[in-house]
Amino acid sequence: MILIFTLLEQMSIFLVITYLFTKSPAFRPLTSDQLGFRHKLLLYLLFSSFAILGTYLGQPVQDAIANTRSIGPVLAGLIGGPLLGVATGLTGGLHRYLLGGFTATACGISTTLGGLIGGLVHLYLVRRGRGSQIYLPFLAFATMLCVEAAQMATILLLARPFELSLALVKTIAVPMLLANSAGAALLISIIRDQRSAYDRFGAHFSARALTVADRTLGILSKGFNPENAQKLVKIIREETGVGAVSITDREKILAFSGIGDDHHHPGLPIITEYTLRAIKTNQVAYADGVNTPFACPRSPDCPLGSTLVIPLRIEQEVVGTIILFEPKNMMFSHLNRSLGEGLANLFSDQLLRSRYAEQKNLLVQSELKLIQAQVNPHFLFNALNTIIAVVRIDSDRARDLLMHLSNFFRKNLKRSGDVVTLEEDLDHVQSYLKIEKARFGERLKVVTEIDPALLQLKLPTFTLQPIIENAIKHGISQLLEGGQVTISAQKIDGRAEILVEDNAGTYCDKLSDTGLGMNLVDKRIKNQFGPECGVEVSCEPDQKTRVLVRIPLAKEDFA
Amino acid sequence: MIRTLIVDDERHAREELQALLEEITNFEIIGSCGNALEAVRIINREKPDLLFLDVNMPVLNGFELLSMLEQEHLPQVVFVTAYDEYALKAFEQQALDYLLKPVDAERLKKTVEKVRQFSHEDLPAQYRTAELKRIPCIGANRIKLVDPQSVEFVRSDLSGVHLVTPDGEFFTELTLKTLEERTPLVHCHKQYLVNPSAIDEIMLLEGGLAEIHTSSGHQLPVSRRYLKQLKETFEL
Repeated sequence: MILIFTLLEQMSIFLVITYLFTKSPAFRPLTSDQLGFRHKLLLYLLFSSFAILGTYLGQPVQDAIANTRSIGPVLAGLIGGPLLGVATGLTGGLHRYLLGGFTATACGISTTLGGLIGGLVHLYLVRRGRGSQIYLPFLAFATMLCVEAAQMATILLLARPFELSLALVKTIAVPMLLANSAGAALLISIIRDQRSAYDRFGAHFSARALTVADRTLGILSKGFNPENAQKLVKIIREETGVGAVSITDREKILAFSGIGDDHHHPGLPIITEYTLRAIKTNQVAYADGVNTPFACPRSPDCPLGSTLVIPLRIEQEVVGTIILFEPKNMMFSHLNRSLGEGLANLFSDQLLRSRYAEQKNLLVQSELKLIQAQVNPHFLFNALNTIIAVVRIDSDRARDLLMHLSNFFRKNLKRSGDVVTLEEDLDHVQSYLKIEKARFGERLKVVTEIDPALLQLKLPTFTLQPIIENAIKHGISQLLEGGQVTISAQKIDGRAEILVEDNAGTYCDKLSDTGLGMNLVDKRIKNQFGPECGVEVSCEPDQKTRVLVRIPLAKEDFA
Repeated sequence: MIRTLIVDDERHAREELQALLEEITNFEIIGSCGNALEAVRIINREKPDLLFLDVNMPVLNGFELLSMLEQEHLPQVVFVTAYDEYALKAFEQQALDYLLKPVDAERLKKTVEKVRQFSHEDLPAQYRTAELKRIPCIGANRIKLVDPQSVEFVRSDLSGVHLVTPDGEFFTELTLKTLEERTPLVHCHKQYLVNPSAIDEIMLLEGGLAEIHTSSGHQLPVSRRYLKQLKETFEL
């Protein structure tokens, strides 16, 4: 009975050490599921010292030692796997072996065995995808019980003379089994509690960061300006609860929200030393108000007492800052500091992406301009040639054609970023088709079937023009006779589907050709409306070419 | 009189050019047509002196039309095009001249001067025409372009010239002479051309005659006159 108390006494030393360990930063890595080499080394040192300490603190009984040595290796095995368990067990076992006594060999071996058993339990659970159960106190209890039982068996098997070992086991078996198992369960429960505390803390932190990220997402992609900055500072202040938040560009305050907004007006130039320094050095500037004093340079009565300035960057170039303030009576929380830095990174990322998107858009537009410029001379000269001929026979008709030509070119001068209605785009196309019909005469027939409800549909300018031009230039003009182009528009599955079909099927092989401008039309629609919209082309050689344009309906068009 | 044919797939373009040419004396417009096949038929029949030829036409373009004509009856050619980019190629083909649409009356007069000079010197047109890569054939309501390599033999009778291929028989406006000049096909008889690579055996008959068995089992007559040439082809 006394033995069991002695053992529990030893156990309490381990409990204290473990408790301290879980409070130290060294414990942190244990909160992740994957352990690195350095962390394993740390655990090895900790649990090996437990094993050695267990031997020293043990109670000498009949030329042997009643002890708590196996706890270290078993926990090492459970937490770190077989390798760590065996390594720890071997260390503790070797140490015990060197101390001598008639159970030296048996104890040395059984300690190593303990590490191995713990490791095997770890391996079993991880392989089964039940890694979180490693930290169940009950499991540690059961494992420890097995290990101690195995130890007793080893002593009986290996330690000679047998009578002595039998007597020894009779004395120590029950206390050691109970004390060690209870100890293991207690230790693992301490580790588990600390782990979940970290997890809860982390979850709370992540949830806040994600809420801010979610609420601010996309705001900056609409431009880095006072209006959007004002939206951001409001959200950041609400979510972090800091005294005040400000966003600046390189020269002036873009937005400010919180304590001190009576004199920190947007539009004022930056004069705060920390902000200027952050912009100049491209580094976070922090004044906690205690070690580093902070005084608002605008007003001596300003209640703000500490500041954190984080640069906003696009590709390493500072474009502005986010500034968090706390009033004089508040301390900056560590959490808000790292949250602020994280947000600045997030916004920098958004800025970079929006600049990239802007450049991509510019590229698309200039490509489009180029195509417009390329197409026109061919069309123009043929159109003029036709009209000159028509002048001889029918001057009224020639005048009509010239009006269409002028309408076509006027529409072509529109900026390519504009949005037009389907009606306007069709008008552009009709002028083009009128002239082509004059050129080709009987060889070109145009059928138009437009759902009148779609006439107000919004789409990027020059959506239909390049498609119809292809149908004529590469399709109908290659037919000897009987050419027909069908233009139809209807609502299907909540989208507008505009179909341009010719009965030539003569440019299947050219469809991947970027010169056709089809990819460009597709890109612009996808840019504007998302990947489920755009242009889809299919071709049956010598039969037909179909170009399908999908555009989402505006909300009022759903009716 | 310079007998002239206008070939352009656009009606108004033909009308305009015709109207401009009618103002110039000593021109006889023998016709105008809208595609290369019709043009071949008219040229083979009428043998005009001068061709105003649009480059960009459906199915067969202006350059392809030239490669479908007999060397001997090649008219002088003036290309008419709205596309500047073709001008260089037109000169490569040694056309007499080229005009840009819309055609300027003054510019047209210079072209006509050039044509007159050439016809005074009475030189035959000398265009380097390319080998035919496809032979246009007229079907019921379509134009079939036949690869010369796939032609087994060509037969000519009162109804016209027929290509015999594994896919069937096709009627073409091209003459045997053009086909012989621009394709690997060779004469074996006055009315037959054969593709040397389709010959399975040549049976020598009495009286200097012979008979060709083609790979798909057709039998073609070989006349005395062409047997010698045929032997030379195979270096016999």
